[in-house]
Amino acid sequence: MKKPSRVGFLIAILFYICLTLWAETLIVKIQTTQLRKGPQFFSSPLVSLKAGDSLEKLGEQDGWIKVKTPGGVFGWVHSSAVETKKFSLLAMDKNLKTQTSASEVALAGKGFNKQVEESYRAKHAEVNFVLVDKMLQVKVSSSQVEDFLKKGKLGEFRGSR
Amino acid sequence: MKAIKLLGMGFGLAALGIFLAGCSALEKGAGILTSAGKISEGDKDKLLKTGQALRSTFAEITEEEEYYIGRAVAALILSRYAVYNNDQLTQYINIIGNSVALYSDRPEIYAGYHFLILDSEEVNALAAPGGFVFITRGLLERCKDEEMLASILAHEVGHVSAKHGLQSIKKSRLVDAFKLIGQEAVQRYGPEKLAQLTNIFEDVLGDIAEKLIERGYDRKYEHEADSLAVRFTSGTGYSPYGIIDFLQTMVGDSSLAAGKGWFRTHPTPEQRIDKLNQEISRLQIIPKKEDVRTRRFNQYFK
Repeated sequence: MKKPSRVGFLIAILFYICLTLWAETLIVKIQTTQLRKGPQFFSSPLVSLKAGDSLEKLGEQDGWIKVKTPGGVFGWVHSSAVETKKFSLLAMDKNLKTQTSASEVALAGKGFNKQVEESYRAKHAEVNFVLVDKMLQVKVSSSQVEDFLKKGKLGEFRGSR
Repeated sequence: MKAIKLLGMGFGLAALGIFLAGCSALEKGAGILTSAGKISEGDKDKLLKTGQALRSTFAEITEEEEYYIGRAVAALILSRYAVYNNDQLTQYINIIGNSVALYSDRPEIYAGYHFLILDSEEVNALAAPGGFVFITRGLLERCKDEEMLASILAHEVGHVSAKHGLQSIKKSRLVDAFKLIGQEAVQRYGPEKLAQLTNIFEDVLGDIAEKLIERGYDRKYEHEADSLAVRFTSGTGYSPYGIIDFLQTMVGDSSLAAGKGWFRTHPTPEQRIDKLNQEISRLQIIPKKEDVRTRRFNQYFK
């Protein structure tokens, strides 16, 4: 029987350790969200989180992830608000670098961003961004949704009829 | 003795691994192993190639990029349609939309979901990437209860959730954009790169607008959004038959074929109803319609 090569063993160990550790670090990928006390949207908010914030993953339950903030606060975030931190290996060497990972683009605020929108708007004055900003001003709070669901016998309040 | 040596080597590697992960420098680590003679140059290259996480498809468009694409698509829509100014009704559809979005596959997106009524007789609804959803007054007037309205909004949330708008972008545009974005290490672009990126951005918007506004999504995407609407509405507690009730009001209405939107671009109501009945039959729990919801709906549509 052929003995496994030492190089293969080293690569496997290196990958295992790095991937295991990386999998534990999450990055907030949306503008803002809340760290919640429990794995539900209507659970008490503990801390406000913003895009780019790092979190340590501790566990998972029905689409919710138990995390710890760098400040040591434990709580839950929804899986759609975070992503696993990934980096392009080639990005470490500027001479080799030709592209970027999604995580790097997100963290740097690169790609199609505000600057690109401003450039597009300068070319297309006829396109109506004022109404888009107005549309964004219509806000629905978490407590409004909770009250709406409760009164409509919806969501977690279905059993109350 | 051999076991102790192996254990020592294991701890050494673990320490090295922690160091490497800590500074996000697998490449540097591979370099160290190469220079120490532990792995060959060829192995180093293989190691780096295997670990690449470069962008190549719509799925790797970031949340922020999707938001900026969505803003511009929404702006194009709002350049073609007038807004129906009714704050109470707008708030009502925003609460329903956000409620079904909570029970979707993507409850949290970059800047949240936003819903707006377009002042048009046309029977139409449009969902731009990033959660910008539009529903026409003509379509609203066809809804007879909250279940129907929730199902339409859930269908549109389904398009956002499944990223159907982003999937309309031609692959070649993404390849060009990702290449260009990757070459710049800074957040702000120089004039030349900015001009190039803006041109690609225009083309990206053109791809989405053509599908979303002019031609409509492919039928498979419409059926998928219907299927998601069944899942999201029933998950919220609405009767999943809301969408079928809505489509029934459209059966045999020939005036709709001449217009834009749902009935020029979507599969026929009959085809959709058939598939929806199959979807609903697979649900384990089918929530019932509640009068309390119809009563509050009627307050907005006296």
